[in-house]
Amino acid sequence: MIRDFEYFAPKTLDEALTLLDKYRDECKVIAGGQSLIILMRQGLVAPKYVIDIKRISELNYISTGKDGVKIGAVTTHRAIEKSPVMKNGLSVLADMEKRLSYIETRNWGTIGGNLCNADPAGDPAPVLMALKASVKTASVSGGKEMPIEDFFVDFFKTALEPTELLTEIQIPPVPPHTGTVYKKFNIIEGHAAIVGVAFSITLQSGDGVCDNVRIALGASATTAIRAEKAEEVLRGKKVTDALIKKAGQTASGEADPISDISASDEYRRELVRIMVARAGNEAFARAKQA
Amino acid sequence: MSKYSVIGARVRMIGGTEKVTGDAKYTSDLTLPGMLYGKILRSPHPHAKILNIDTSKAEKMIGVKAVVTGADTIGKKQGIWRRFPELCDEEILCRAKVRYIGDAVAAVAAVDEDTAEEALGLIEVEYETLPAVFDPMEAITEEAPQIHEGVELNINVNRHIEWGNVDEAFTKCDHIREDQFVCSSQAHMCMETHCALASFDYNGKLTVWTSTQSSYYIQVLLMGMLGMREGDIRVINPYTGGGFGSKFELDSAQFCASLLSKKICRPVKIVLTREEEFTATKRRTPMYYFLKLGAKKDGTLLAKEVRVITEGGAYTAMGATALYLTGFFSSFPYKYPNYRYDGYRSYTNTEPTSAMRGFGAPQSTFVGESQLDMMAEDLGIDPIEIRRKNGMTPDYVVPGQAFIQSCGLHQCLDKIEALIKERGKLPPNHGIGIAAYGFMSGGIFNWFDTPYSFSAAIVKINIDGKVDLFTGANEIGQGSNTTLSMICAEELGVKFEDIRIHSADTGICPPDLGGWGSRQTLMSGNAVKMAAADAKRQIMEFAAAKMGVNIVYDLDIKDQWIHLVDRPERGVSYFDVVKEAIRGRDGEVIIGRGHYTPHRKGMISPAYSFGIQAAEVEVDPETGKYKLLNVSTAHDSGQVINQVGIEGQLEGAIMMAGGYGYCEDQPMDKGKILNPSIADYKMIRSLDMPETKILEIDTYEPEGPFGAKEAGEGLTNPTAGAIGNAIYKAVGVRVNTLPITPEKVFRALREKESKQKR
Amino acid sequence: MKKVVKLTVNGQAYDLYIKPKTLLIEVLRDHLGLTGTKRGCNTGSCGACAVILDGMAVKSCSVLALQADGGEVMTVEGLAIGAELHPLQKAFLDHGAVQCGFCTSGMLMSSKALLDENPNPDKQQIKEGIDGHICRCTGYNSIVRAITDVVKGEYKEAK
Repeated sequence: MIRDFEYFAPKTLDEALTLLDKYRDECKVIAGGQSLIILMRQGLVAPKYVIDIKRISELNYISTGKDGVKIGAVTTHRAIEKSPVMKNGLSVLADMEKRLSYIETRNWGTIGGNLCNADPAGDPAPVLMALKASVKTASVSGGKEMPIEDFFVDFFKTALEPTELLTEIQIPPVPPHTGTVYKKFNIIEGHAAIVGVAFSITLQSGDGVCDNVRIALGASATTAIRAEKAEEVLRGKKVTDALIKKAGQTASGEADPISDISASDEYRRELVRIMVARAGNEAFARAKQA
Repeated sequence: MSKYSVIGARVRMIGGTEKVTGDAKYTSDLTLPGMLYGKILRSPHPHAKILNIDTSKAEKMIGVKAVVTGADTIGKKQGIWRRFPELCDEEILCRAKVRYIGDAVAAVAAVDEDTAEEALGLIEVEYETLPAVFDPMEAITEEAPQIHEGVELNINVNRHIEWGNVDEAFTKCDHIREDQFVCSSQAHMCMETHCALASFDYNGKLTVWTSTQSSYYIQVLLMGMLGMREGDIRVINPYTGGGFGSKFELDSAQFCASLLSKKICRPVKIVLTREEEFTATKRRTPMYYFLKLGAKKDGTLLAKEVRVITEGGAYTAMGATALYLTGFFSSFPYKYPNYRYDGYRSYTNTEPTSAMRGFGAPQSTFVGESQLDMMAEDLGIDPIEIRRKNGMTPDYVVPGQAFIQSCGLHQCLDKIEALIKERGKLPPNHGIGIAAYGFMSGGIFNWFDTPYSFSAAIVKINIDGKVDLFTGANEIGQGSNTTLSMICAEELGVKFEDIRIHSADTGICPPDLGGWGSRQTLMSGNAVKMAAADAKRQIMEFAAAKMGVNIVYDLDIKDQWIHLVDRPERGVSYFDVVKEAIRGRDGEVIIGRGHYTPHRKGMISPAYSFGIQAAEVEVDPETGKYKLLNVSTAHDSGQVINQVGIEGQLEGAIMMAGGYGYCEDQPMDKGKILNPSIADYKMIRSLDMPETKILEIDTYEPEGPFGAKEAGEGLTNPTAGAIGNAIYKAVGVRVNTLPITPEKVFRALREKESKQKR
Repeated sequence: MKKVVKLTVNGQAYDLYIKPKTLLIEVLRDHLGLTGTKRGCNTGSCGACAVILDGMAVKSCSVLALQADGGEVMTVEGLAIGAELHPLQKAFLDHGAVQCGFCTSGMLMSSKALLDENPNPDKQQIKEGIDGHICRCTGYNSIVRAITDVVKGEYKEAK
């Protein structure tokens, strides 16, 4: 059962930050609540104060500019899924959102809420890592920006201070000749990833040489991680089938997954190997056309 | 042109409009003035003595109106199989000992759910934990802790079925296979959890509204556990959100709500949470199978030997039946000249295992059909051929066990064979696997020890010709209200809309064993047909007199028209005759009575359904993940009564049966279920649901009403076996343990590859 | 400390005085007596509680009532207009897409939200639209067929 709490619905970011500064560890911030409410109903979390930021319009937007795309933290998954902005190089975000849970969850749940929950199996984190995203935070004493890799500290733990709020996700412009793909392995559609792989490859113009590559793994460690050794296999080299397979092999060694009721750690490692290779081939094909 | 006016037609289900508008009130929707909300405290230990329970703090909490523990009961143990007192081993609210994580120890009634839940936290239970055992193989050893007093080696029940001489027959076989399988548990996962609203009044009478498959069983079991008179308990079955075998035993919601209500004479409602539903009710019986099959090289099956150990969990429940039926249906649907089955059920400190749709037959069909395909391959015989060669036929007698009358298995085989041929050449990594089944239409055994006939019905004809049908049968979503109304209308010769059905209220309906074991269409249907015939006879007496026809002519009613069978245009309106019949009998209401109990039909069932299913899968050989593309079923359910209903059963069963093969499981760690939530318990959803096809064949079952027999359960038997066989066809590996997960397929494929390398 | 929440449910405006922790499903079922919306689980996974909030299908068990303040909710009770059933309701009945009925309210609301957003979904989109819902009885395919018939225009829209 949910314990009683005091409820605030600040209308501006500043109001929210002031409340957060006041109540700190005694409060929880709610946006869509699709994770938080479940935790509260199970008695795992029982804050005295709840700060509802869902209606803060200054946190709800998808904007494009020369700096790339900026997504407000309180933007719903469904809005991202349906946004006309998510095409070409960013279509991977719409693809990822389409497979995230179910429509009802996506209608109300937010990207910020998802990232702050820091579920190691979460879908957005590896995709945003592959897209070289960074996040912006705010507090009464100022804000920070950091690459999204630095945002995740441990399972269900982020780098947010008790007075900090995640406000924005920034995705830099996608370079030409880039293909990004998200592959999610699960047994039942809509369920959490048993293994998730986001693969982004940028080619030097037309000659099939990898200029840069970012491989991120979900459900393979305590947080989403970059498979940096696997990236090294490809960076600067001419992309071949065998090389992509080797990247998969390498990534498999970098994964440190758990065994649970859905899969053993061994199987997850094998899935990383297979999915990285498949994602790599698809991303390469996309990059050649981009 | 159908020879029937009502049955076989496509009709909207009775109660459907209420469900689509939200008008239908399920037990958890009901409120009564002064109603309290109950919650149950459950054991966190798999095996422990209860040393002391201190409820004083909870009792003092504001808003708490009553607290009960085992001390508030009359100290009885109960179980479904009352003929065997040693199998009635469940107190529900434990007194001295708890035997699984989830066993109930106390219950609270309070002004709202939150208060009740908080009050649970104030109840102090002192336990002395005992060593626990979870694996049936370990439980039956000398070293294992004894779970029930007086039960040696925790062997709860054993069953033996035998005919012919299996040992001698094996010596005559050209080929023998021995295989082992493990069949997993499964949760019923009814969308509506167990719940009850109990109201004990100041006159000592108890009314219970509850989600149940058998109002009658609950009434009788409550009587025993409360020390009351049967007639002082009324059980009413509001709209019910599924049963699947989980809801015809007395459960903790019903018992605790009744006990609490009795203590303070106020209505108490208890609705189990989804977590309690997964962990503290009952589940499908896991089974360990050892099969030995012997055949001649031409594919004739000569002998089958089956040994099974089942994981019983903490209490017997219906597990003894599952043990028996799995042994019986291991011989289905083939003619074995020699057969032997030995089954043992072991107590374990886990959630009790009991009845679940299929009742031991999904397990026996998975293992049997897998092994049969393996035998066929060994002998170089086509899987359909081997089934054709040995399949049961009409009027077959299972020696000493059962009389089969109608049997459409061979027509089903023909249809599926044609379908597979039509599909043609399959793309790579695709495979089609088949599995055949047979199942009962209600059980003959009366281990419940009811003095009543198994089904009974009353038909009352009103002055305006509208008919009230009273049946104890339970509508749980399977459409029995609709089916029985159709049978009544057809027999009486009136329209479907003329019937108003009242079901499963023990205060006004005659007893019926309820909706389980696939019995209601045949058994309740027969009772309804008899009652309708009785009422019809009373009307026809008047019609004959009124029409004054020559004695050589027969009269009948169809579509509200009483007419000469040979000259249908000559007749009178049913409505006119009803009025005159009532007037002519001094105003006495026309009431027809019917009942049914199977007699002289063997020991298992009065009739059997048959069928064969073909499943097509596509396997990803790298990951082992597979997609269920299509599941087609040719089935024999005799005469179809409720067409829409039967299609719903056939398609719907695949979600559950397919899930049994594909993904559903309840893994445990030291007796604790690890996935007691819908988020973690994997089930097939719409995107994973295969395309389904239903192929009907025409048979007539003499024992069933208008030739009908069961359709709800047989269909849960073949799917896991068909999936397993399909995967083998697709990529050449077998998985002998359920569920067949991608990881298991992956491992099997890698093992096969490394074997081939060597 | 209780707060006032203003909701329009099935066209009717309500002012309710509730504890902040109150979920939308509790307001609908327990405060307003609209028991058509069902509770099926504790983890927001089964879909039985789905309602339409400001035009979107949401799980009412996972939305705080206060978050719906000022909003418009439609529940299954709001589908029929007067005595005329909604096309989806008729289609579900004709196709046997209802058995035990416990998942039905949620299914209908998500189906309606799907068709409101996209009047011409293909089969895959229909399946995606109801994937958030568990049905233990029908096997989903009859539900997909029912919705498909509505999409095809087999049922006249209630005026």
